[in-house]
Amino acid sequence: MITSAALCPAPPLLARELTGADPVVPTLRDACLDAAAALIADAPDLVAIVGAAAETRAWPPDGQLNLSPYAPPLRVADRTSALSPPPQPAPALPLALGLASRLLDEAGYTGRRELQSVSDQETAADCAALGARLASSSARVAMLVMADGSARRGLKAPGYLDDRSAPFDTEVERAVRAGNLSALLTLDPVLARELMATGRAGWQVLAGAMTGVRPVTQIRYCDDPFGVAYLVASLRAGG
Amino acid sequence: MTDTHGPRAQGMLRLGHCAFPPSQPLIMGIVNRTPDSFFRPGLTWDERAAMARVDQVIAEGADIVDVGGIPAAPGAEVDVAEEIRRTATFIGAVRSRYPDVVISVDTWRHETGRAACEAGADLLNDSWGGDDERLADVAAEFGVGLVCAHAGAQRPRTRPFRVAYADVMADVLDRTLRLAQRAVAAGVQPDRIIIDAAHDFGKNTWHSLEVTRRLAEMTETGWPVLVSLSNKDFVGETLNMPPEQRLPGTLAATSVCAWLGARIFRAHQVTESRQVVDMVSAIRGDRPPARAVRGLA
Repeated sequence: MITSAALCPAPPLLARELTGADPVVPTLRDACLDAAAALIADAPDLVAIVGAAAETRAWPPDGQLNLSPYAPPLRVADRTSALSPPPQPAPALPLALGLASRLLDEAGYTGRRELQSVSDQETAADCAALGARLASSSARVAMLVMADGSARRGLKAPGYLDDRSAPFDTEVERAVRAGNLSALLTLDPVLARELMATGRAGWQVLAGAMTGVRPVTQIRYCDDPFGVAYLVASLRAGG
Repeated sequence: MTDTHGPRAQGMLRLGHCAFPPSQPLIMGIVNRTPDSFFRPGLTWDERAAMARVDQVIAEGADIVDVGGIPAAPGAEVDVAEEIRRTATFIGAVRSRYPDVVISVDTWRHETGRAACEAGADLLNDSWGGDDERLADVAAEFGVGLVCAHAGAQRPRTRPFRVAYADVMADVLDRTLRLAQRAVAAGVQPDRIIIDAAHDFGKNTWHSLEVTRRLAEMTETGWPVLVSLSNKDFVGETLNMPPEQRLPGTLAATSVCAWLGARIFRAHQVTESRQVVDMVSAIRGDRPPARAVRGLA
């Protein structure tokens, strides 16, 4: 069953290497790292990582973050020691899973992990079922969900301004803040796509994982410095 | 020109009545008929100011005048009729004033391309990667040139959002060469086809830097290469400079692209760009110094 969860966004710029000399978003990175640290503080026996990608599938737990699609000079980040290189390079992960995996590494987690990508074509019911399955896969499951709000929150936003963005993201924030995760299951996949909110499926996986649980939540970051809604939160079951 | 058996030589480029050899780099002076472009917004929105700008870029050494009616960034909708109103009539006036200058229209829409050609344009400069397939048909029908640009998977007037490429230059080559082939198939004269990496379009700064670094892979295809670097965000982000302070970075990128064989340079600051490409031409050995007496007397 699920003991705790963390929500983080998955923009490429979460990787410190990608923003050049300027750290750009240190408070966002710190908030994510704090959320990852809190997630593993309860000694889970499994961390399930969930993030958006083109297809819904499981990924090898030793997969690696690959930043070269975003910055060609950067190679696959090497998580292993230079003294003991793996016999074969681990497969490259989708960005959201790679970033999450790195967060767990940075938080010092060395235990079991499961990596699960989820496509934005999945219905709310399918997402919830996936969440329930992941939550039941071990006795003490912690879940790290990488999910982003709308990318259409202003004139300078990647997707330009869509006035529906603000109420959409506010609804998500309220649901998380109140621990009322079932409200996330009502998010409309079509509207989410139109608003370039790539986190919809991930939030609904989380809601499925925490069905019947009213978690105590802590919002660690909630802002949109580049027109994309970033939400970092910690959730603990049994509150 | 798309086989992969080694580099292909650049040939003559024809635009309007002119023929340009590979050794002659060309400056394309930007004339925006927009109230809201990112660089000096509204400067040439007024038609008289726009014609004064044309006079200026030609006097400063531009070989091509590029007239555009829509900013690349998202914003207020500019429909076809309004775009034509901003560009075609003005192109007619430029053609009357300068019968021999090469005139380009910056558009992705075939309707605008057609109106511009009827008004006297010589080149259709499509920065949006062939979004409107009929633009090539217009180029073929009027016997004008066509720019085949890489915008990734972006639709016109959209910003890149977490764009990722397994190999950005491979994608640039794949898309631009396919567009060039499509143009040939549509009947566009091959010596009037140009390819463009389209810096910033469908690219983050890392991608634009990579494309600059590897520009030789484009010039080795044999197609003439256009670069549009002027004051763009990849320059601004690299040097942390606002648009009005990006000239040095623009010129640095310009000289690298010139060295790697680009032939057309779309620019706001024509005087400075002209000097840079002429200097690089001389360094390459394509052009003699304007005057050499030092140590020779």
